[in-house]
Amino acid sequence: MADKDSSTPTLSSPEITRLRLAYMAVAMRDPNLVHMEDDYAKKSGLPQVIAHGTFAVAYVGFALSQAVGMDRVRRVKVELTAPVFPQDIISVVYTDLQTSGDLTSARISARNQSGILVARGESTWVTNPSH
Amino acid sequence: MGVEVGYTFPKKTFTVEPHRVEEFVIALGVEPYSGWTPTKGNAVPPGFFMYVITYGADEVHSKLNFDLLRTVYGGTDSEYFAPVNVGDVLSVAPVISSLKVKETKNGKLTFAELTCEYINADGIIAVREKSTTVERGN
Repeated sequence: MADKDSSTPTLSSPEITRLRLAYMAVAMRDPNLVHMEDDYAKKSGLPQVIAHGTFAVAYVGFALSQAVGMDRVRRVKVELTAPVFPQDIISVVYTDLQTSGDLTSARISARNQSGILVARGESTWVTNPSH
Repeated sequence: MGVEVGYTFPKKTFTVEPHRVEEFVIALGVEPYSGWTPTKGNAVPPGFFMYVITYGADEVHSKLNFDLLRTVYGGTDSEYFAPVNVGDVLSVAPVISSLKVKETKNGKLTFAELTCEYINADGIIAVREKSTTVERGN
């Protein structure tokens, strides 16, 4: 298990390939073609297909569950702020950690490889009981 | 819009099947935590509880009368109250908890918030997840 409280949760995703989008469409049973067909996405004003919002949401959550374990995760709140496209790589950073009683909270930001903010939010988890 | 705040969808049960969680993690390409395997008894990773996965998109979007061509996922607020493991059976009855319209310089945006409370076998709310779905235009 990773360090419990002395490290700040971070995560760098693999490249979000079109194959990953196909897997996610199947995993979610998501019928929205905006994630699969460029022509369809262009009809909605996008330059190409976009990744499911669950990519950014899950990477934000996984950064925390990797750092403290799923059993201590209490809240993950994520607002999606920009689309994620194929070939993007998402980097998640937790900042402004604050501990109050049994709980620790932090701000979250997730950016693509160009530095564009694709998601932001906040999270809360149970402080390491051994600290 | 054809639906009001407070509308509750019919209750369904959802089994956290190992292959569904495995597909989700394969798509992401990242282990959710050390020692993760998609086997019964292991904790379900964050981000999995979203109504499209657990309830189905068609019924919800049809009720909202949202055009998929103009609809995107806006975000989530997930609270975890009790452990949920692969193999667990949960019940859920999504509720339309908020509907807001905002006029922006790029046109109208309609924000629909759907609240899902996942009840475990002990009758306890294990997870409360609020998804925001956004429709552009019209």
